[in-house]
Amino acid sequence: MSTELIKVTINEQEFEVEKGAKLIEVCREKGFGIPSFCYYGDLALQASCRMCLVRIEKMPKLQTSCTITCTDGMIVTTQSEEIEKAQRAMSEFLLANHPLDCPVCDRGGECELQEMVMDWGDLEERFVERKNAQPEKFLSPIVANDPQRCILCKRCTRVCDEWMGEEAIEAGNRGVNTVIGTYGGWLGCSQCGNCIEVCPTGTLLDGVYRHETRPWEMDQTRTTDVYSSDGMQLSIGSRGGEVHRIVARDRYVNGLNGEFLDVKARFAHGFINSKDRIKTPLIRYKKGGKLIPSTWDEAIHFVGSKLKESGNNVGVVASSRLTNESIFTLKRFATEAVNSNNYAVSDAYDLAPFFDNLSAPLCTHKEIRHAKTILLIGGEPEEEQTFTAKQIRQAVRNGGAKFIVVHDTPIRLAAQASQFIHVNKGSLDAFALAFADQSDATITKKLGAAQTEIDDLLKTIGETEGDFIIMFGGDLSAEAQAVLANVAGSFASDTRRALLHPLPLYNNSVGANDMMAGKKPLEEVLRTSKALLIAGSLPEDKTDLLANKDFVVVQELFETATTEYADVVLPAASFAEVDGTFTNNAGFVQRVRKAIEPIHQSKPDWVIASMIARELGADFGYNFSSTMVFKAIADSVPAYEGLRYPLLKDESKPVQAKYSPVAKRDLSNEFAALRRKVEALPETSEKITETPRVGHKLHRVTTMTGKTDQFHLLAAGNPKPENLLVSPLVQFNLDGTPRLVEMAEAASVNVKDRIDDKETVASKVVLK
Amino acid sequence: MSIITDVIQSTVAVIKGMRRTLAEIPREKWTVQYPDDPITVQPRYRGMHLLHVDENGKEKCVACYLCAAACPSDCIYIEAEDDPRPYEQRVGRDERFAKVYNIDYNRCIFCGFCVEACPKDAITHGYNFEISVYNRSDLLKTKNDLLITKQKQSKNYRVALSSEDVDSEYKEV
Ligand code: SF4
Ligand code: SF4
Ligand code: SF4
Ligand code: SF4
Ligand code: FES
Repeated sequence: MSTELIKVTINEQEFEVEKGAKLIEVCREKGFGIPSFCYYGDLALQASCRMCLVRIEKMPKLQTSCTITCTDGMIVTTQSEEIEKAQRAMSEFLLANHPLDCPVCDRGGECELQEMVMDWGDLEERFVERKNAQPEKFLSPIVANDPQRCILCKRCTRVCDEWMGEEAIEAGNRGVNTVIGTYGGWLGCSQCGNCIEVCPTGTLLDGVYRHETRPWEMDQTRTTDVYSSDGMQLSIGSRGGEVHRIVARDRYVNGLNGEFLDVKARFAHGFINSKDRIKTPLIRYKKGGKLIPSTWDEAIHFVGSKLKESGNNVGVVASSRLTNESIFTLKRFATEAVNSNNYAVSDAYDLAPFFDNLSAPLCTHKEIRHAKTILLIGGEPEEEQTFTAKQIRQAVRNGGAKFIVVHDTPIRLAAQASQFIHVNKGSLDAFALAFADQSDATITKKLGAAQTEIDDLLKTIGETEGDFIIMFGGDLSAEAQAVLANVAGSFASDTRRALLHPLPLYNNSVGANDMMAGKKPLEEVLRTSKALLIAGSLPEDKTDLLANKDFVVVQELFETATTEYADVVLPAASFAEVDGTFTNNAGFVQRVRKAIEPIHQSKPDWVIASMIARELGADFGYNFSSTMVFKAIADSVPAYEGLRYPLLKDESKPVQAKYSPVAKRDLSNEFAALRRKVEALPETSEKITETPRVGHKLHRVTTMTGKTDQFHLLAAGNPKPENLLVSPLVQFNLDGTPRLVEMAEAASVNVKDRIDDKETVASKVVLK
Repeated sequence: MSIITDVIQSTVAVIKGMRRTLAEIPREKWTVQYPDDPITVQPRYRGMHLLHVDENGKEKCVACYLCAAACPSDCIYIEAEDDPRPYEQRVGRDERFAKVYNIDYNRCIFCGFCVEACPKDAITHGYNFEISVYNRSDLLKTKNDLLITKQKQSKNYRVALSSEDVDSEYKEV
């Protein structure tokens, strides 16, 4: 944007503003309130609500300030009798068919319509005609809808289209009959809930939080998402130790993601207060015996004595879902309490090859939004790093960026791409090699893509002026990742910045990689240690390695496949119950804040580790304060040097850890390994032509998401029920089969008691 | 002071007092023989709250929390719940109802703000003033104690008719 300044007069005061600024933004910034519904900074202009009217000199009629760009010498009036009259009339029309539902409307208390009408509308209504009443209904297990409350601002349809690229929700019909609707009456989208978030009224509602409590009753805690590695900032609404909902509303939180969240971040919080949480420490005194509840003192004492017996052969494994504080403490536990260098991170894939070869700076999400060229190799951001995907979409749609996808699967995001290089199944590694080492033309044969396609790609990169971003997913081999991270820097020139963006799978994968410097591969640690301390469960395919261990301690929220092998299970606190930090895939170190007290007897992972360490005679000097742990991190991890909690306080100005690009290393070993791998690939191989269905990864039922019933229905293909007026949870079993009353009773599925009433279900729901 | 003056002065005092007493005996009496006789309360008396039901016995409260928000002593606790059943079967008049509705009478100051805040006329002050208990925790009243259909009304009061002239501080005695 140009920084040229122009002069604008607003209400007889002169201001200097940037050329190209939106009039509505300028007025608001200078302190002149302007009501609006349809204007939304991050979306295309709509100008449908006509609330933002202003008088501009030399223009014949009142103008909508949301569509006006400031010009030099513009003279604007924002308040006058004429404007007020127009605004009052507009709000009266908006309310003409609006129900008086505020007491039962979940948006009541934080409703923009309520606020605007209190501030700018008339309190008396002159229409006496009957309202066109419509019942509240469901659009999906997660989105509830009350069509009568809609003011047709079309924010929902614009986010669905611009942010998500799904176009699942659209305005239908014309004139007074216009309604916001879906195709086929049911939302088959990724259920991100962004339409709910941006809706200024209670038309689109959170079906998980539906009728639970009211906004002013809840405490809002700003914190970081626990699912995706984008580190989205969100606000947890809790009341009396119970988490009721998660939102990213501007009024509560202003993180890098704005109001954007995805289905897991927003709705899959059921696990926090789940009744399945482990309540007390559990000890299995005899191998093959039962886990028996015990006290903390006894459990810690027991663990201490057993670990002492195992001597130096103790391994420590930390999940990359934990906070930096916990992972760091676990590493210290390994090196200081049990004198072992057997420690590892349990993650989907290792980020070390990426960071050890970082040849270009990490890019932030803002830079993605304004990038000129983006190259995506493998990965599936629209399912795994949803915010990154949104930024890519907007860069393409609103910023005109060139987006090149290299993939063996035609992922949904590829539809947005300006070039899609469709390689053979499993030959992404070959592409990495061909891209990094352009001298060897034989590799392209294995790719199933023509050399010209790669030439085109290189030409696009060569022509880029501005930011060029390379991102790649975990479906590339470690060598390929190392090679790509290493080669990225060479694309930089005087007019072009090359930037790298990793696509890790978990919320703190990057932080885990930073905290556990010198970590070993997970399998090696699992194989070689006799006793293990595991925080957070292992991937299911690795749990077998725990058989025949002398002693296994697991810190977990739930009983999982890993706890089956545990001799002691210690109840850990979830992200909503701890203070700490997560590091996202842009290297931002962001705060995690305690929204509720730890449930039952659970404790934060780092507290548990320090308690065991103390039992073993090692004191980390934390005094049970997470501030002290973070200080210790800042003192010993170079990239976090100088960071302190107060510096991370403001989520709107996230702080990036200082990853300095490393000197180019000799990668001949990696190249050789990669070459061998590529040579082993078959000459011809089939191509995957099917685009994976929406939500195939997002809607997966896991230990965490599975505690929110709605995810079971989404995973079962999100079936459309017969009766849209009743929650699908009443009409379906959790596996997605229509619910017969007898069956429901026999299976005692997890639906609320009052619905287990034979007549109830039968009379309202038509059963198959 | 002599003993005679003493005797005279106290006799005068007794006579003065007795004169007042005797003068009052023939006058109309305001003392109520509670609990043998019922107390007459004003129509707008603010006693223990009542949660109302509609003509079919469905609870009127929609759990909007406005009473809790208005309450200056923060003594109302509500938990809302969704009830998708048809009107005939559900508890409340609306789909949304209060699963839990508690008023803590340790704290309530009977200001009536909750009643004014209620958009559904679901809560009013009743006339029941006999809420003393032996145990302070018994002052936490739940929906079962407050619902008009469940609340036990004492026989010890009657509500004054609007035309009736009732005792008040403005009345001349
Ligand atoms: S949308 Fe807003 S104004 Fe309309 S009923 Fe809901 S809270 Fe009230
Ligand atoms: S549903 Fe909400 S966001 Fe969509 S048009 Fe209606 S009021 Fe606007
Ligand atoms: S009468 Fe006053 S203090 Fe008592 S519950 Fe109502 S609002 Fe609260
Ligand atoms: S009593 Fe009235 S104000 Fe209180 S929650 Fe119920 S409906 Fe709302
Ligand atoms: S905000 Fe300008 S027309 Fe709606």
